[in-house]
Amino acid sequence: MIEVRGVTKRFGARCAVDRLDLEVRSGELFAFLGPNGAGKTTTIKMICGLLSPSSGVVRIGGNEATSQAARQLLGYVPDQPYLYDKLTGREFLRFVVEMYGLEPGRASRRILELIDVFEMRDYIDELCESYSQGMKQRVVFASALVHDPKILVVDEPLVGLDPRSARIVKDLFVQQARSGCAVLMSTHLLAIAEELADRVGIVDHGRMLASGTVDQLRSELKHHGPLEDLFLSLTGDHRPPMSSVEGQGPIDLAGRPQPAGTPL
Amino acid sequence: MSLVIGESGRIEPPPLPAEQTARALRHLRWWLMRNTVRSVLSGSRLRLTMILCCSAVFWLGLFGLFWGSFEFIGINDALVNGIFEYLFSMFFLSILVMLFFSTGILTYTALFHSREGAFLLTTPATTDRIFAYQFTESVGLSSWAFFLLGSPLMVAYGLTNGAAPGFYLIFLAYLVAFVLIAGSLGAIAAIVVANVFPRRQKLVLSASVAGILGLGALLGWRLWSTPGDALSTDWLAGVQDRLAFAQSPLWPSRWMSAGLLAASRSDWSRSGYYLVVLSAHAGLAYLAAAAMARDLYFRGYSRVQGNRSARRRQGGYWFDALFHRTFFVLPRPVRLLILKDLRSFRRDPAQWSQFLIFFGLLAFYFLNIPRLGYAVQSPSWRNLVSFLNLSVTALILSTFTSRFIFPLLSLEGRNFWVLGLFPLRREQILWGKFVFSVGIALLPTELLVSLSDAMLGMGPLMIALHAAMVAVLCAGLSGISVGLGARLPNLRESDPSKIAVGFGGTLNLLVSLVFIFAIVTALAVPCHLYYLGIEHPEAQYALTHGAFRFWLTIAFAVSLVIGLVGTVLPLRIGIKAFQRMEF
Ligand SMILES: Nc1ncnc2c1ncn2[C@@H]1O[C@H](COP(=O)(O)OP(=O)(O)OP(=O)(O)O)[C@@H](O)[C@H]1O
Ligand SMILES: [Mg+2]
Repeated sequence: MIEVRGVTKRFGARCAVDRLDLEVRSGELFAFLGPNGAGKTTTIKMICGLLSPSSGVVRIGGNEATSQAARQLLGYVPDQPYLYDKLTGREFLRFVVEMYGLEPGRASRRILELIDVFEMRDYIDELCESYSQGMKQRVVFASALVHDPKILVVDEPLVGLDPRSARIVKDLFVQQARSGCAVLMSTHLLAIAEELADRVGIVDHGRMLASGTVDQLRSELKHHGPLEDLFLSLTGDHRPPMSSVEGQGPIDLAGRPQPAGTPL
Repeated sequence: MSLVIGESGRIEPPPLPAEQTARALRHLRWWLMRNTVRSVLSGSRLRLTMILCCSAVFWLGLFGLFWGSFEFIGINDALVNGIFEYLFSMFFLSILVMLFFSTGILTYTALFHSREGAFLLTTPATTDRIFAYQFTESVGLSSWAFFLLGSPLMVAYGLTNGAAPGFYLIFLAYLVAFVLIAGSLGAIAAIVVANVFPRRQKLVLSASVAGILGLGALLGWRLWSTPGDALSTDWLAGVQDRLAFAQSPLWPSRWMSAGLLAASRSDWSRSGYYLVVLSAHAGLAYLAAAAMARDLYFRGYSRVQGNRSARRRQGGYWFDALFHRTFFVLPRPVRLLILKDLRSFRRDPAQWSQFLIFFGLLAFYFLNIPRLGYAVQSPSWRNLVSFLNLSVTALILSTFTSRFIFPLLSLEGRNFWVLGLFPLRREQILWGKFVFSVGIALLPTELLVSLSDAMLGMGPLMIALHAAMVAVLCAGLSGISVGLGARLPNLRESDPSKIAVGFGGTLNLLVSLVFIFAIVTALAVPCHLYYLGIEHPEAQYALTHGAFRFWLTIAFAVSLVIGLVGTVLPLRIGIKAFQRMEF
């Protein structure tokens, strides 16, 4: 569904994304991992058609990323979501369903359903300017899901959500994927990636360092610790060449293997 | 959603009728307007009435001005009437230029720099729809000012000319078409700039504004130097000659003025003809803009977004050290705050380029004073011009403080979690801003005014007096902007230009104008009377040397008091509000 082939994005002299390949099939939940500044948001913006790649192709369900068809298929939750201050949450959702041309009866049922799911009934008719960060986040999630997207792209989904809403969102992701949606989420929470994702991809400096199921990565890199250690050893400063990563237990923050038993 | 899977595995969502997204955007606008009006009405009534009163006073003032001058000139004189056509063409031409720039800038920001734009781009609305939505808002905002300026002129003209009611109606139609032409051209320019110069947009803007101002200054100078006595036949012919370029039949402003003047004479066929010409072009210009948006919006957005500067910035630390040593009298945290503001100022070309352009033009004009022949005029004339130059400098400074200093505290409010935790008292933050503003303002204005005085050959006493006035003006304008900025902050907005044109910013500009007016008249009047007295010693109003000393001392004391009040009072109000403020 999402197809990224050899995509490079340069900002002036800086190469934010470097010949990146990525594929997310329908029914699959893909977690996009990487340190700050690795190029995750840039990649996601190219998938949503907000940035055009310097070279390479991005296809959404076989459509060009900037085409109307691609945008109809896509639900997007950006890292800094936008809500109209002077709309109520309900009006915002109604705007979105109308924009996507949902048939009115179904649309209002869907809106009510999502208001219930995200437990927004208490404040949905107040202006968005009075919402807290997590309340805004829930409205944005609802708006990304309300038109039944075939592809869901989420940048840092759980920032600002309380444990209960985080649980709801996580369940929704899995549910979406199981119902045939392609879900791409970027996150820093490795535990979430490990728990939810069918496949993970680790990027650094704009390049895909490794991708596959967590088990695949473990066996490929001969690394048997938690995902966190694997991530750190891949993206650390003094990263040993991939083939020579030895699964010998903990490494320090700079990526140097530590003798077992030393505290980090 | 029923999906069609094409042969190549392409997934085609059901077709989305264009009317669907248009309707969604229409509903969006309606909800936004309704909710905004509701919250304005339920908000501060005082603020609303003040805004309405200010607008009404402004409108009536302009109307009175125009009406008075029309009555005075006497429209029925055929020759004067001819001049009117030229003046109207000129007026609408300058409005055309202003609307072009303001709509262009607003559209540029809305399309390429707003988060709303980014959001709408991810919805399935086509780019020309999104453009139409954003463009309507920009045009509405910028034509509002035009309406406020143009309608008193037209009403005054219509009344003195005894125009039929149809004149006022057709004026509205003309206004819409005219605004649409200027706005569409501005939007086209905005899209071109985003696509061609994504990195140099501010430079392009500054350069073109400077170019236009230069042309305007040139034209003003040519008009000013028209030979012959004012209002004589020769002089009028000369003025017509110099304004002839605005009469070219290719200017939309010319269609506007010709059509409106025809309407005022109830010449409906001619007026209708020009209205058709104007609206046909408006439609064409809008169509061109929408087509460009359809093809180039995405591309331009991506280019603009991808061109934020990633330059490393370091160095300048010797400057910091020097600054700390020079201003050791200030408390260190205040010095640090000032340094931070200086650094932001240096890195924001929008600020200093504006500063440079306006003050550069002024300096250019002052340097040319000898060539304009002012220096050989009578002393009273030179004195008048020197005060005029000082006022212009102060006026420009006031626009600068309103545009850049006033929003500082509102912007700081957004980051208050940093400042609020610093080991300083809140009022020190305000004093820091004040010192920063005075420091930035003082240097160029003192230089400019001394330059103007030197070029006019003023005496040392006058130079000293003007230097002192400039210092008072700088302190006062800074005090007003910092104080009111703290009293009437806008913590929601992150765009300083929007903060500056809001209620607080406008009030700040008005107060600044009153302040300048008070200081300048207090001192200019005795000086002018004194110099007139030198030329016409027999006149009743003439001041002797002794009387002049006496009155000047009084005037100086009064202006010092005004200056002190104008500086300290707003600052105190600001400090009080700032200490109570919650972020
Ligand atoms: N508009 C831009 N202009 C210039 N450089 C940019 C721009 N956006 C991002 N970059 C650069 O591109 C690189 C990748 O940034 P990106 O936002 O994609 O990182 P990220 O992986 O999302 O990081 P984080 O985890 O912090 O969100 C960074 O080095 C950043 O400085
Ligand atoms: Mg990011």
